[in-house]
Amino acid sequence: MNEQRKDILGMLAEGKITAEEAEQLIAALERDQSPPASSIGTRPKGRAKYLRLMVDTIDENGEPGRINVRVPLQLLRAGVQLTALIPPQALTAANAKLDKSGVPFDLTQLKPEHLEALVDHLDELTMEVDQPDAQVRVFCE
Amino acid sequence: MPQLLTVRVKRPDRRPIRVWVPLLPAVLVLSPVVVLAVLAAVVACQVFRIDVVRALGTGWRIVSALPGTRFDLEYSRTAVLVAIR
Repeated sequence: MNEQRKDILGMLAEGKITAEEAEQLIAALERDQSPPASSIGTRPKGRAKYLRLMVDTIDENGEPGRINVRVPLQLLRAGVQLTALIPPQALTAANAKLDKSGVPFDLTQLKPEHLEALVDHLDELTMEVDQPDAQVRVFCE
Repeated sequence: MPQLLTVRVKRPDRRPIRVWVPLLPAVLVLSPVVVLAVLAAVVACQVFRIDVVRALGTGWRIVSALPGTRFDLEYSRTAVLVAIR
């Protein structure tokens, strides 16, 4: 119980205020102390547990569509471990194909620990795309 | 370890389908298939020269991380929900 509430109850006990007045004061106190409505921008600080993808669309017939995906970040962390299981010959073949396609990217340099660091920092990610017929939001919670 | 798979399908002009699958009993019932799948994975790891222990460990980590996953798709009056708890 906080101090202000104790004071109100004390005044009620001493007969300085009526029960109705005490109720009004406590209600006003609760209004002042209630947290703001949750939103993406006001997510409480702390380690995020889920990656959320929300897509709202309206097709050409005016039919609404909605996709709501929640993926535990732990699952992403476990998933990046799969990169360590890719056989070296597959990485070499993929590197050759990427190079041929004009993307000189060396997959052998991609280590699970680098990807884990990337996943660890995902909780700071918020992405919003607004189009007239679609809205996409990616965030962590 | 995931405990419960929930599938819900809503279609226009039809009764919605709700299915709750307790995963532990389902895995026990399907254990012969699971054993075969693990054996196939071990053979595949040997063929492609992948560390079997590491591969199985990674697979287990992925399965263990599944609880909390949720896919919710809605289009017009049709909706599909898949959730793992």
